[in-house]
Amino acid sequence: MMGKRVSTLLWCLVTGLLVGLLVLFWGGSGVTAENVVKIGNIEPLSGPSAAVGLQGKNAREMAVEEINAAGGIKSLGGAKLVLIYADSESKPEKGVAEAERLINTEKVNVLTGCWNSAVTLPTTAVAERYGIPFIVPVSVNDKITEQGFKNVFRIAAKDSWWTRDQFAFLKDMEKEFNVKVKTVAFVYENGDWGKGFAGLWKELAKKGGYQVVLDEPYPSTATDLSPVVQKIKRANPDVLFLVSNAADAILLTNTLADYKVKPKAIIGSGGGHADPSFLKATGQNARYIFDLVEWETDVNKPGAKETNEKFKKRYGYNLAGESVDAYVAMYVLADALERAGSLDPAKIRKALAETNLTKGPGMIVAYDAVQFDKTGQNEHAALVMVQINDIGHGMERLTVWPKGARHAGYTPVFPMPQK
Amino acid sequence: MLYILEDTINGILMGSIYGLTALGLTLIFGVLKVINFAHGSLLMVGMYVAYWAVALTGLHPYLALILVVPVMYLFGYYLQDIVIKPIFKAEREVREPITVIIVTTGLWYILDNVTLLLFGPQYRTIQANPLRGKMLELGGMLISVPKLWGFVTALITAASIYWFLQRTRLGRAIRATSLDRDAASLMGIKQYKVYNIAFGIGTATAGIAGVTLVPFYNVFPSVGVLFDIKGFIIVVLGGLGSMGGALLGGMIIGVIESVGPQFMAATWTEAIVYGLFLVFLFVKPSGLFGVRYDW
Repeated sequence: MMGKRVSTLLWCLVTGLLVGLLVLFWGGSGVTAENVVKIGNIEPLSGPSAAVGLQGKNAREMAVEEINAAGGIKSLGGAKLVLIYADSESKPEKGVAEAERLINTEKVNVLTGCWNSAVTLPTTAVAERYGIPFIVPVSVNDKITEQGFKNVFRIAAKDSWWTRDQFAFLKDMEKEFNVKVKTVAFVYENGDWGKGFAGLWKELAKKGGYQVVLDEPYPSTATDLSPVVQKIKRANPDVLFLVSNAADAILLTNTLADYKVKPKAIIGSGGGHADPSFLKATGQNARYIFDLVEWETDVNKPGAKETNEKFKKRYGYNLAGESVDAYVAMYVLADALERAGSLDPAKIRKALAETNLTKGPGMIVAYDAVQFDKTGQNEHAALVMVQINDIGHGMERLTVWPKGARHAGYTPVFPMPQK
Repeated sequence: MLYILEDTINGILMGSIYGLTALGLTLIFGVLKVINFAHGSLLMVGMYVAYWAVALTGLHPYLALILVVPVMYLFGYYLQDIVIKPIFKAEREVREPITVIIVTTGLWYILDNVTLLLFGPQYRTIQANPLRGKMLELGGMLISVPKLWGFVTALITAASIYWFLQRTRLGRAIRATSLDRDAASLMGIKQYKVYNIAFGIGTATAGIAGVTLVPFYNVFPSVGVLFDIKGFIIVVLGGLGSMGGALLGGMIIGVIESVGPQFMAATWTEAIVYGLFLVFLFVKPSGLFGVRYDW
């Protein structure tokens, strides 16, 4: 009687062990250690930010495929780049644990990640401790490059640059269309990202002479945003500033339309508003919304259009902020590895610090060069403001600012029609 | 003053939908004594079934109920039969089979991640459904029409299940099994069949809740998690096994969430909801309408 239970247990253990050994050897074989550069990528592959994590993964894979097909890293004997992924689930503690695992068990040479600023902040500390270079494609929180670390390199612009650009844009719009904006409202997700923006917005509003009629953090995972929308409606701001993740951006936009809330302008901060599923899920409700982003599909750079077409064909949606930065990050890394000519972390780190990437298939960004300053921040990172509108090809995102980058023949609509 | 009325109405409507999502949970919790952590995932499955039913056929979302209810009922029935029953059988002597919690937690992760694998993480909404964005104007207040439909559905569903439990033979069998499963077996009630049916009904209710959410909410693989925690709070607030309690508990939470933000930041209302949960656990753990168990 007991014997049967025990033998079944034994069976399961043995089978499990065999399967485990099989996976270990099958998965691990085929690639020799010397001719490969291991890149650890910590991304939110499940949980609320999974959609964006997937975009980052796809962009990296496409870039690495191109780099490997072009011969890999020639100064390392044609070494191929290998991507290893870890799921952060958008949780800081998970990110930290995965960083330790990638460094100690998988022995990666470089780390990249983690999208959620809250995860990137502690995870870079882990990389710093082990001296492993860490490329941050897109987390915007100022603090990430202000920790005094030597191994962190960020491609995207900092928080403070985003907010600075949003207010500069507003001032330019006021001048161009001769409209006075007196009151502003700040509605933002209550995580590190949103709160970071809100703090900077408040200072900029004071400097710009705007009156803040509403300062409302909200839980990104809220199931009903009508109370927040009601508050916005009753505060009646001229301009509404938003920081949202994808699900709440969609819910907020739809609820704002349901309750017929029409300020003079709505300005988003990328993230959820730039998510590919945003336009599909909101349709007409998203019309006239402004959004500040890293990059847009109509940016005037050689190769940008082709790369976007290729990405769209493979994965079914356009490149956006996270994917573009992840793509560029791979090329920046490849360029640094070529110059380092070695897998020694200190040499890779030095090569990264000396980066001055101005051309190549990776440079599809709106600005002209990737160069890191002493804190590891990409000095030239710039942003563009787009407006969501339908000019005959369906709802799309059109670059409107800086004026020099404006979509040819399009005049932004400001203020929003008050139908 | 009008504002508070408008918010309270929104709170009651949204709250009734929360209550609807918790109905199935309280039934399963009350009858099977099973803490079903996979309930949020069942809701998510219901939402996807409803989404695909509408997206592929263009039907009015509520007509999709014809498809959703039987599909979810069978899904729940066989889930209980194949996955959870063996645990029950193994823990025959125990009043509350605790291992089932582990099984349902595993089920939660499997359902969420298989859905992620199959359908991808993107957020889906049904753009062209007739309920979308419809608002009712009532004396200066705007009331959401899809939520109103949800409110009515919640009331009808709760009333139907209550009637079923009180008036039909099968309903009485379910209640008997929930009070004492061995005594019920002695009376000739097939214990495991009753469990399967109860789980099936609970899951079908989650499917109905999914249908009410689809017209105005996003559908994505981890949507269940948001409603899962709220569901447990509502079940405790309202009392285990009480249909009316679940609805009322839901409405209380809905009103706090809707009216609260007018007086403080929206993030504080979450703290209040959880605080209320704790207070109830201390003061009246059996909830508003729960039965005092002595065993």
